[in-house]
Amino acid sequence: MTAATAARPRFARQVLAAARLDAAEILRSRWLLFCAGAYALLAVVFVLVGLRESTVPGFTGIGRVLLSMCHALLLLLPLLALTALGPVIGRAREDGTLELLFSHPLSRAAWFVGVSLTRYLALVVPLVVLLVGLGLYGQLAHGQAVPWPFMVRALVVSAALLAAFAGVGLCISTLVRNPARVTTYIVLAWVVGVALIDFGLIGVLLRWRLDPQMVFTLAAINPVQDARMALLSGLEADLATLGPVGFYLTHRLGADLLYLLGVLWPALVGVGTWTAAFVAFRRSDLV
Amino acid sequence: MEIELRQVSKRFARTTALRGVDLTIARGARVALLGPNGSGKTTLTRAIMGLLRTEGSILIDGRPLTDRMTIAPRLAYVPQIAPQMAAAVDEIVGVVCELRGLAPAAVAEIAADLGLDLVAVRGRALRNLSGGMRQKLLLAIALATPAELLILDEPTASLDAAARARFLARFAAIASGATVILCSHRLDELRSLVDHVVVLSDGTVAHDGPAAAYLSERLAAVIEVRCRDGAPPWLVEHGFARGVGGWWSRAVTPAEKLTLVPAALAALGGEVDDLVVRDADRLELTPEVRHVA
Repeated sequence: MTAATAARPRFARQVLAAARLDAAEILRSRWLLFCAGAYALLAVVFVLVGLRESTVPGFTGIGRVLLSMCHALLLLLPLLALTALGPVIGRAREDGTLELLFSHPLSRAAWFVGVSLTRYLALVVPLVVLLVGLGLYGQLAHGQAVPWPFMVRALVVSAALLAAFAGVGLCISTLVRNPARVTTYIVLAWVVGVALIDFGLIGVLLRWRLDPQMVFTLAAINPVQDARMALLSGLEADLATLGPVGFYLTHRLGADLLYLLGVLWPALVGVGTWTAAFVAFRRSDLV
Repeated sequence: MEIELRQVSKRFARTTALRGVDLTIARGARVALLGPNGSGKTTLTRAIMGLLRTEGSILIDGRPLTDRMTIAPRLAYVPQIAPQMAAAVDEIVGVVCELRGLAPAAVAEIAADLGLDLVAVRGRALRNLSGGMRQKLLLAIALATPAELLILDEPTASLDAAARARFLARFAAIASGATVILCSHRLDELRSLVDHVVVLSDGTVAHDGPAAAYLSERLAAVIEVRCRDGAPPWLVEHGFARGVGGWWSRAVTPAEKLTLVPAALAALGGEVDDLVVRDADRLELTPEVRHVA
């Protein structure tokens, strides 16, 4: 065999091979159990609590379950995305997987794309199943009127939020080689994401007497806050639900623009951080 | 495949793993890459595979190695320690065969020859296989690949005796045009496997030459004799050291071996219960045995 005859498989074939192997890894990993368990726990808790009673007139049953669940998802989804993608490269490098895989005709780009897509789908697909399942359960078992448009909105926003933190996770995974530090950065990214929303920001504003514009800017560049406003503004745009920053922005920008912001900005953050991670991965040592 | 390294260096943070390595490995050569732990063997093989970014230049068949994908389809590699992958054996074999354009049956046949039934372990996670089974699987994949360059890092370290024998037979059948780089600490095993030895020390090439000369310098023959009666005077007089289980041993040069073995048999006659002659790295010999050598 010569260089000419040693065929290099097509890129799509390489991506599929990498995705297939990573899917096999995920299906046997503890992380998937954790992810599925977290989703299932949320569903059970909110169904049990939400279907029983409601203090909001005119907004009861499955609609309330979904709203409560979205609040919880805003906290949970970033953490799931970060834990899914954050350790992926470091672990594969550490246990020799990268060394073995890249001794075969598999390009860095194909592996990176394959693994990113697989992990992202592993985050999104169970969420779709969960929310749609909840809706169907409410409709069929309890005769509830399910707010399907809100459900679709919630799924789109959640997918964008997952993309943002999946990208951040990949950045951490690529740039930080020390496994202990990876965990630290994952926690840090999550804490920053969930802390810099309304109440945290208002706390910052009051404590350090920041310019309100600065606070609103901080809120606007935080994908969690954007997703939160996009989800809630279309459903219950009051001060108690949205918080001061969200309430102000909703009335300033309008629900539609907030929805667009809540989808596009996290998606953009996801694409940007994914690209940065990819560039860093291409330039780094593989082992 | 011909490999040429020119002033190849690699640093990891504060550690320099390779320091200006100049080395040429001819097409079809079978090279043993030796050296103590941390000498740079693994870094060198990883650099040749294009897994690391290095200073200096690496030429493959006269062309600079700038894209790993130019060498990967022509390469087969067996790491010393198999990765702890959670994926099932059949998934791994399937993906590799997909990438390589190999027939899974070819891998299964070699695995079976090495003593691993792929059908029996197909659903098991790679990380749940024993070290020996993982090694057999990776060897089977590498040997099924029609590669121009084989890099084998301690390929027999985890193999049982039967699998090791089968591997050595398979190794001998590797196409003569293929270049082989074998990392090993077992000098005794290398004699029949390689024709060239490269020794690394502290990231530099400390020795680069024919295997026969190097091995004859470094290898000792160890004669081990077990006698029926406790301590035959002849063994004591000829510098044999007492071991456990009634065994006496002495390290000798290859030339001494040819005279001492017949002499022992003649002198001890019916007292000899068993006699073994084996190769050993001089550095591995116990002080007692080395002393008399």
